[in-house]
Amino acid sequence: MARMSSALFYQDPRAAIDWLQKAFGLELTMLLEDADGGVAHSQLTFGDSVVMVGAEWTQDHKSPKSIGGKNTQTVSIQIDDDIDTHCARARAAGAEIHAEPETQFYGDRTYRCRDPEGHIWNVSQTVAAVTREEAEAASGLKITGWV
Amino acid sequence: MTSKVFVALRVRATPERAFAAFVGEIGMWWKPNQLFQTTPRAPGVLAFEPGEGGRLTETLAGGKVFEIGRITAWEPPHRLEFSWRQANFPLELKTQVEVRFEAVGDETRVSIEHRGFDQVPRESAARHGFQDRALLMRLAEYWQAQLAALRDAAT
Repeated sequence: MARMSSALFYQDPRAAIDWLQKAFGLELTMLLEDADGGVAHSQLTFGDSVVMVGAEWTQDHKSPKSIGGKNTQTVSIQIDDDIDTHCARARAAGAEIHAEPETQFYGDRTYRCRDPEGHIWNVSQTVAAVTREEAEAASGLKITGWV
Repeated sequence: MTSKVFVALRVRATPERAFAAFVGEIGMWWKPNQLFQTTPRAPGVLAFEPGEGGRLTETLAGGKVFEIGRITAWEPPHRLEFSWRQANFPLELKTQVEVRFEAVGDETRVSIEHRGFDQVPRESAARHGFQDRALLMRLAEYWQAQLAALRDAAT
């Protein structure tokens, strides 16, 4: 079955696995630990999607915590309902909220936050049905591929 | 310390139903796999003897019974633990399998943790030449397939 997923690297992947479950409601569905208790591989599931959480296993795989907080990609979580409660839960778990929940021109309410090692996560909930014409008028953008 | 392989999935059933299917119907849903052969012979039928100390057996076509392990924790419908020994393991080596059943809404999260498989010696046929990491990944996939089969059987 063709699909895509993303891997995230942490100085402390074990702590990250616990945190991501508590803060965002991801569910641990695979964890491989070596004889020293090190995380060799893990998968956390949300809906039908998976992210992998691992250690900084080469010089080229780094946590934002090791490189001054820089991110080169962010993971987006799409939820079905109650994004404000989702945000409150993440904040209570220690997420640093960068952008409070706000309804966007394209009909999603979103917030953005950093996890304890500095990964940026984007969370969205669709709250309004917006047509392409409405979104173009609101944003001034030419939009291709709007379903 | 010992290695751990953990896998989990959701089953649309109560913990009671999932536990009952796991122990009572394993002969029907279990999926034999060439990589993790319990005996060198053609796969037989697995069965648990309920209760702590009960055996997990595999009955082969000729009627011969192989003991895979013994139940070391019997806490229906929440937790089950048993030892796990393939015929191609060294005699003294036992690994442990822990199964948990947690209610999540109207579903049950069934998880399996298999500990100690890295202790299978490097030269053992049970490893198929795999280094630890590849071996544990294959073992995780093996248990994922078992959980998927359990899910289909329990619902």
